[in-house]
Amino acid sequence: MPKCLVCYKWTLDEQDIKIKPEDLSLDASRAKGKISDFDRNAIEEAALLVEKNGGAVDALTYGTATVKQSLKDVLSRGPAKVYWIADASAESADAAVTANVLAAAIRKIGPYDLILCGEGSSDLFNQQTAARLSALLGIPCLTFLQKLSVEGAVVSATRKLEDGTEEVSVTAPVVVSVLSEINKPRIPTLKQVLGASKKPNEEIKLADLGLKPEDLVPKATRSSVKGFVMQRKNVIFKESSAADNVAKLKAGLASEGLI
Amino acid sequence: MPGIIIFSEDSMLAAQLMTPALELKQSLNQPITALALSEADAKALAALGADHAVFLQSAGKWVDGCAEAIFAQVNKAAASIVLIGGTLRGKTIAAYVAARMNAGMTTDAKTLKVENGKLLATRVLYAGLALCEEAVVLPAVATIRSRTFLAPPAAATPGTVESVTVETDARVTLGAVSPTGDTGVDITTAGKLVAVGRGFRKKEDLKLAEELAAVLKAELACTRGIAEDEHWLPIARYVGISGQTVKPDLYLAVGLSGQVQHMVGCRESKVIVAVNTDERAPIFEAADYGIVGDLYEVLPLLTAALRK
Ligand SMILES: Cc1cc2nc3c(=O)[nH]c(=O)nc-3n(C[C@H](O)[C@H](O)[C@H](O)COP(=O)(O)OP(=O)(O)OC[C@H]3O[C@@H](n4cnc5c(N)ncnc54)[C@H](O)[C@@H]3O)c2cc1C
Ligand SMILES: Nc1ncnc2c1ncn2[C@@H]1O[C@H](COP(=O)(O)O)[C@@H](O)[C@H]1O
Repeated sequence: MPKCLVCYKWTLDEQDIKIKPEDLSLDASRAKGKISDFDRNAIEEAALLVEKNGGAVDALTYGTATVKQSLKDVLSRGPAKVYWIADASAESADAAVTANVLAAAIRKIGPYDLILCGEGSSDLFNQQTAARLSALLGIPCLTFLQKLSVEGAVVSATRKLEDGTEEVSVTAPVVVSVLSEINKPRIPTLKQVLGASKKPNEEIKLADLGLKPEDLVPKATRSSVKGFVMQRKNVIFKESSAADNVAKLKAGLASEGLI
Repeated sequence: MPGIIIFSEDSMLAAQLMTPALELKQSLNQPITALALSEADAKALAALGADHAVFLQSAGKWVDGCAEAIFAQVNKAAASIVLIGGTLRGKTIAAYVAARMNAGMTTDAKTLKVENGKLLATRVLYAGLALCEEAVVLPAVATIRSRTFLAPPAAATPGTVESVTVETDARVTLGAVSPTGDTGVDITTAGKLVAVGRGFRKKEDLKLAEELAAVLKAELACTRGIAEDEHWLPIARYVGISGQTVKPDLYLAVGLSGQVQHMVGCRESKVIVAVNTDERAPIFEAADYGIVGDLYEVLPLLTAALRK
C-alpha cells in the first residue's frame, strides 16, 4: 500500500501567451493558469496505483500566490490532500531552488514510498526536478517511465529512451518521472469536482522549511526573453476546388526549386 | 586546478561535446577531462583534444547508475563546467550531478560562452514560444542535444587515457532492454520531410503520406501523439521539443495543428507547407504555402500531380 506524493507545477497556459510585435516581448496578461501538462499524467498514475493497490496520494506544489487557484483542480483528479507553498521566490526559482524547496517540504511531510513528477514542466521543461530530488533525498530515481507498477515495496517500471525501452525495478522509496503516454488523465466528473472542495489542503510556509538563504538563491537566471517569430510567406490556397489548390501548390513548390 | 568535464554515453554526441568544450577551454584556460563508458570512447575523445580521458569501468550495466561515480570525477577535477550529452539518460545524470554539486544547470543549451564568471547559454522557454539567455554561476552544468555542434577535427596532440573502476547504483535492478526497430532512419539528415499528425484517422491511412513521400523522395516524420500515444511510427521520427530537431529544405505538414511544442523542432526548415482542414490552425501562420482542405482529398491529388 504505497504512500504516494505527486509534485505538480501551476504554470501559465502557453497557448494564451502572445508575442508583442513591437519588441518581441511576451504578453502573458491574458494567460490562464493550468496544471503543467505532464503533471496531469503523474497525478493520474498515482491515482490509478492507489485505486489498484490501496495506499494514499498527496500532492505538493511550490509557486507564487497563484498556486491557490490550482488546489481544487488537483484535488478533483484524485489526491486526498494537497500541500502548497506560495512564495514570491517561485517567480525566479531555477531547478536548484525548486528542488531544494520541494525536498525540504518532503522531509517535513514525508516519508513517501513513491514520489512522482512529470517528464518536464511545460514552461521551463528543465527535466531536472525528479533527478535533483533523488540526489537531495538520497533515494533512487527512475525517469521517463511509460509503465509503472508496485508490488509490496518493489516498484517496477519500463523506461522509454531514444534507443529503446528498459525494464527497471527498485525497492521503495523512489522518485519517478512519467511520460504522457503512461495514461490518459481523467476529466474530473462533477462529483469529483464537488468532492474536491471537501478535501483538505495545507499551506506550508517557506520560512518553516529550515532552508538557508543561499538555498533560495537561483543559480540560473534568465534574461532577454524574446518571443520567437518566423518570417514565412503565408501563401494559403483555399479555393473550393482541391485540384486548383493542388495545382497552385505544385507551382509554388516548383518556384522554390523543390520539385 | 579547475577543469571542464564532458560526458555522454552516446559516442557521437560525446565527440560533438568536444567542440563547445574546446571553445570554453580557450576562454577559461582550463583542461578538459572526458568521461566515457567504454575504452574506445575514451581514446576517441583524447584524440579529439580532451587533455585527459577517463574510462569509467563498471560491472553494472545501468547507465544512469553511474551518476554518483560521475559526480565523484567532477568533484575530483574541481569542475567549473560540466557538459553532458542531452539524451534522456544524460539529462537524468546531469540533473543528479548538478544537485550533488549544488550547482545550476541549463537544459538543451544551443550556444555557450563564459562571461563574468557565469556560463551563458541560449535556450527555449514555453516549449519554443520564446528564446532566452540563461546565465548560470560557476560551477555550472549544461546539457547539449545531439547535433547542436559538429564534432571537431582530430587534435595535434592527443590527451592521456586512464581507466578507473567505479561502483554503480546497486539499488536499481536492470531487466530486459529492448532496442527500438527502425533506428536506421535519421530524419535529421533528410532533405525533405512529410510530417503527419492526428488528422490521420487510422494507421493504414498513413499510406497516403508514404505515397506522397515516395514521389517527393522525402522521409516520413510525425507529431508526438502519432509516435508516443498511437505508436504508429517510431519515436525516432517525431519532431519537437521532446523529439527531433530537423532543418530540411521542405517540411510538408499534413493534418497537424502546428503547436509550438512541435514547431520548435522544424521551424528552421527552408520551406514549410501545410495541409489542414482548419483555416485557423496555427500551422498556417508558420507555413510558406498551405492548402485548406481535407488531407484525404488533397494528398491523392497532390501525389498524382507531382508524379506527372
Ligand atoms: C511539454 C510538452 C512537450 C511536447 N513535445 C512535443 C513534441 O516534441 N512534438 C510534438 O509533436 N508535440 C509535442 N507536444 C504536444 C503538442 O503540444 C501538440 O499536442 C501536438 O504536437 C499536436 O499533435 P497533432 O498536430 O498531431 O494533433 P492535433 O493538435 O490534434 O492536430 C490535428 C490537426 O489535424 C487537422 N485535421 C483533422 N482532420 C483533418 C483532415 N481530414 N485533413 C486535414 N487536416 C485534418 C486538424 O484541423 C488539426 O489541426 C508536447 C506537449 C507538451 C505539453
Ligand atoms: N514548482 C514546482 N512545484 C511542484 N512540482 C514541480 C515544480 N516544478 C517542477 N515540478 C515537478 O518536476 C517536474 C519536472 O519539472 P522541470 O524539472 O521544471 O522540467 C514537473 O513535471 C513537476 O512534476
